[in-house]
Order: sequence, then structure tokens, then C-alpha cells
Amino acid sequence: MRDTFTLITVILAGVGLLYFGSIGAGPYWQIVALNLAMWIALTQSWSLFSGLTGYISLGHAVAYGLGAYMMATLFSEWPIWVLVPMGGLVAGVFALIVALPVLRVRGPYFVILSFGLSELVKYVLLVVETALGQSSRLLFGAPGTQTLLVWMLALAAVATLLRHVIGLSRFGQGLVAIREDETAAETIGIPITRYKVLAFALSTVIPGMVGAVMALRSTYFEVLQVFSPTISFTIVTIAIIGGAGDARGPVLGAVFLIALSETLRGVSPQLYLVFLGLSLIFFVRFVPNGLTGLLRGGGR
Amino acid sequence: MIESLLSAQLLFAAAVLGALYALIGLGLNLVYGTMRLLNIAHGDILMVGAFAAFWWFTLTSLSPLIALPLIAVFGAAIGLALYFALFRHQLAQELDASVIEGRSLLLFFGVSVVTQNVTALLFTATPRAYRHLDEVYRFGDLAMTGNRIAALVCAVTLLIAMLIFLKKTLFGIEIRALIQHREAARIVGVNVEKVQMVAISIGFAVTAIAGTLLSMTEQTNPFMGFRFTIAAFVVIIIGGLGNIRGGIIAGFLLAVMEIYAVTIFSAEARSILIYGGFVLAIILRPQGLLGVRKRA
Repeated sequence: MRDTFTLITVILAGVGLLYFGSIGAGPYWQIVALNLAMWIALTQSWSLFSGLTGYISLGHAVAYGLGAYMMATLFSEWPIWVLVPMGGLVAGVFALIVALPVLRVRGPYFVILSFGLSELVKYVLLVVETALGQSSRLLFGAPGTQTLLVWMLALAAVATLLRHVIGLSRFGQGLVAIREDETAAETIGIPITRYKVLAFALSTVIPGMVGAVMALRSTYFEVLQVFSPTISFTIVTIAIIGGAGDARGPVLGAVFLIALSETLRGVSPQLYLVFLGLSLIFFVRFVPNGLTGLLRGGGR
Repeated sequence: MIESLLSAQLLFAAAVLGALYALIGLGLNLVYGTMRLLNIAHGDILMVGAFAAFWWFTLTSLSPLIALPLIAVFGAAIGLALYFALFRHQLAQELDASVIEGRSLLLFFGVSVVTQNVTALLFTATPRAYRHLDEVYRFGDLAMTGNRIAALVCAVTLLIAMLIFLKKTLFGIEIRALIQHREAARIVGVNVEKVQMVAISIGFAVTAIAGTLLSMTEQTNPFMGFRFTIAAFVVIIIGGLGNIRGGIIAGFLLAVMEIYAVTIFSAEARSILIYGGFVLAIILRPQGLLGVRKRA
């Protein structure tokens, strides 16, 4: 309990620092803070499922994309405060629908399956958009960076708190048991299917909302861009670099990523991706413990 | 409509693509089968082979077919470099297969991103193509370009050579032994380390050659590989682990389905078919990607 209060204090301090610090420092830093909060929100949510269960998802771009899609299609009709939660809802419902067949697959096969599924959704939506005659959509009159920053900081804070609280809960302990040994977990009476499905769906809600907010940021929607595998890949890299064992890991990983991207993206986006890939290789190869923990249970 | 679907033209297109799929499936089979490395960068090796061929042709004006041995050595060198830098140490620890699979997947994911973006940095992301052997040969209704015929002949020759190598030579038998049962292979005196090196060299070399052949018929760009990675996985899931002949049949099967899907529906149907087939194949085989034979 005291742990949780400490965390809340730290979160509030962090949110305050990012908000007032970036407002004071100017527009560039507001965007940096927005991106940082975005990756924290995405990776904490991802870690809620993948970190706890060891089922590494390379498909969370779908949740992000569905949220953005929601926002892009309905932006002119409904208010933002309805559309952002709806983006999360749609992502969660989609996750619930695919969860049962997909979560029967374990270990590395789940990883490539989640990736394949994500690409499948992307191409199906591409065909749908083409059939609708919409190669891209523009959002006119989206709110400014400050408003979006408030949304994103709130999402990052909630995702961090959720990851922490669920990690300590009975539910979270059940998920960890699944990671350590799924068969044993089932034997001692953990409802593994229900737990996995619930965690999976829950972990996509905030990424859906993040996607909705980010559609407002770019004011431009294109299927190939928002369903990009780079998003899923970046989430996993952040988690592996930072470690997904607790709520601190994704924050550290996101700070590392933002430092890397702000240094290199201006030079060349491709150079940035090269270094991101090299970081992933380096951490998996030489700092493998976090990863072993992640995959150990899922691969049986 | 029916007539046009049975046309020799489509079957020829499917045969060319099928031979290439069979080759890259074979390459993945060797790497995954002997070492349990989930090579998600497999298609990127193909892309590297395609770029090598493009630059060879552009700079020397000589046929890429002449460069095939060179490109094969290049592919093998990449495979060996990755083996020594990333995998040798881990394989020597005799970890659980699932740990190897999981780590190699993430490592190869990093390799894939690095390969794609280094290529894009060096050569820009512009699609590239070259004209070589593009004269058309006609047999009745069937019109074939020289480069497609060359690609088909080379790929089929290489497939047959690989089949003979794996069936008849001692090294081939040792590779198959390692695929079937790692421990037993070691016990009967197979030099596991050496066979692994040979397998990754051949697997990468064959894939780089497939890339060269592909570059004669299609545009090349740094991000083309992923489609072929997925196709290779579909091939070895349908064909079965270590089942080289099954993989070859599966390669042609996938190509036939793909060519017809593109013809009947649209080019986008290709991606949907490949990823849809991939997703279904894994879901229907939850016991593991390849579930046919498991390492005991």
C-alpha cells in the first residue's frame, strides 16, 4: 500500500514536471513530452499483458491504429472526449474477439502470430479504405499540443498506475504464474484462459486511446502509417531495454528511446531505426535476463 | 473466364514464383530446423541478394547469373557473421529450444530493422529495377520473358542440387540428422557445431540466390523482404519442419494460390492471402509452428 502511495506521488510529480516544464520550455519540448508520455502509456499497457504473462505481442499497433481510425472517421461528428474512450473501447473489443484463437498459441509462435495478424488487419483495412475511395483522411480543427499533452499525460499516468496495481493484485500474480509455467498454473486452479483474454483485452484499451489522441496530433490519417509495425517494434524494444518487470522499466526505456530519437531523427529517420535495432540486439544479447524472464513461461 | 484461369501464362508465373518460394522455404528450413533460430530477417537476406544483383549488373553490365556464386558466398558470409556474433554462444549453452527461439526471434527482428534501414541509408528507398534478358519467347499462347525462364531454370536446378546434397552426401545426411534429433545426432558423432555453420551458410546462400533471381523479374527496394519472410514461414508450416520435399511442394502451392488470388481479385489480395494463410496456419497448429516432429 505504501508502495502504491509512493508511486502515485512520483507519477504526480512526473506529470507536473513534464507538463509545466515543457510548457515553460516551449513548443519543441511540448512535443518531446507528448512523445515521451505516448511511449510510456503504450509500453506500460503492453507490459500489463506481455510483461506479466510472457506472451510478447508484436501486434499492439493494431490497437493504436484502430483508435486513430475511430478518431479519423468520426472526428467531425462527435466530440473528442467521446471519441478517445471509444477508440480504447473499439481496440478492447477487437482484442476480445481475436483473443480466444490467438492466445491458444504459445511462446515465440504467439509473437510471430501477433505480428502476422497485425499485418493482416492493416492490409484488410487498406482494401476497405481503397474501396471507400479514401486513401487518406484529414482532420481539420484539431486541438493544439497543450490539450493533447494533458490527455497523453493522463493516459501515461493511468497506464503506469494500472500496471502497478494489477501487477500486485491476485489477478496479476495469476498472470505471472502463467508466465512461469502455464500448465502448472492451470493445475493449481488459475482460470488461465479467462486471465489471459482479460489481460490481453485490457492491455489494448489505453493504446487505442493513445492512437485516437495521436490522430489529432498528426491531423492526418493513413492506414499504412498508423498500423505500422514500427510502433509494435518500438514498444517491445522499449520494454526490453527498460525491462518489463515492474512499472519503472517502461519509463526508463521510453526515456532512452526519446533521447535516441531526438538526437538522431533530425539527422536521419533511418539512422535512428538502425540504432534502435542495434539497441535491441545489444540488450537481448548482452542483457538477456529481462528477456529470459519474459519468454521462459510462454515457450513450453 | 475459366479458360483464362487455366492459361499456361498463369501457370508459368506460378511456377517461377513457386520455385523462388521453395528456395527461400528451404533456406529457412535449414536455419530453423538445425538450430531453432526463428529467422524473421529471412526476407531481408533475400533483399540483400537482390540489391547485390542490381549493383553487380549496374556496375559491371554483366549478367547477374554470372555473379550467382559470388552472391552465394556473400549470403553465406552474412549468415556466418551473424552466427558467430549472436548465436554460437547461446547455442553452445544447450538452452531450452523455446528460449533459443524467443531470443533469436528478437535478435533477428533487430537484424531485420538494421538491414532494411542500412540498405535504405546506403541506396535510398527508391525501388530499383534493371532490364536484362527481357526478350519475349512465344510458345503458342504462352509468352515468357528470358529472365523469368532463367530464374525458373536456375531455381529448379538449385532445388534439385540441394535435394541430392541433402539425400546423398554425408554432410546432407548430418544436417537432416540434426534437424530430426539434435541429441541423437550428437551421440552418433555428428559435429554439431560444424553442421550448424554449414546449415546457416547454405540457408543464407540459397536465400541470397533467390533474391538475385527475383531481382531479374521484380523491382527491388529495401523494405521488400518482410513479405518473403512471411511466405517462407507459410511454406515451412504447410510443408513441415525438416521436410524438404514437403516444403518444395508447399512453395509451389502457395505461389499458385497467390497468382490466382491476384488475378481474380486484386494486388492487395496478395497480402491478405499471405498474411491470412499465415495466421490460419499458426492458429490451426497450436502445438507449435511445425508440430510434425518435435525435438525430444
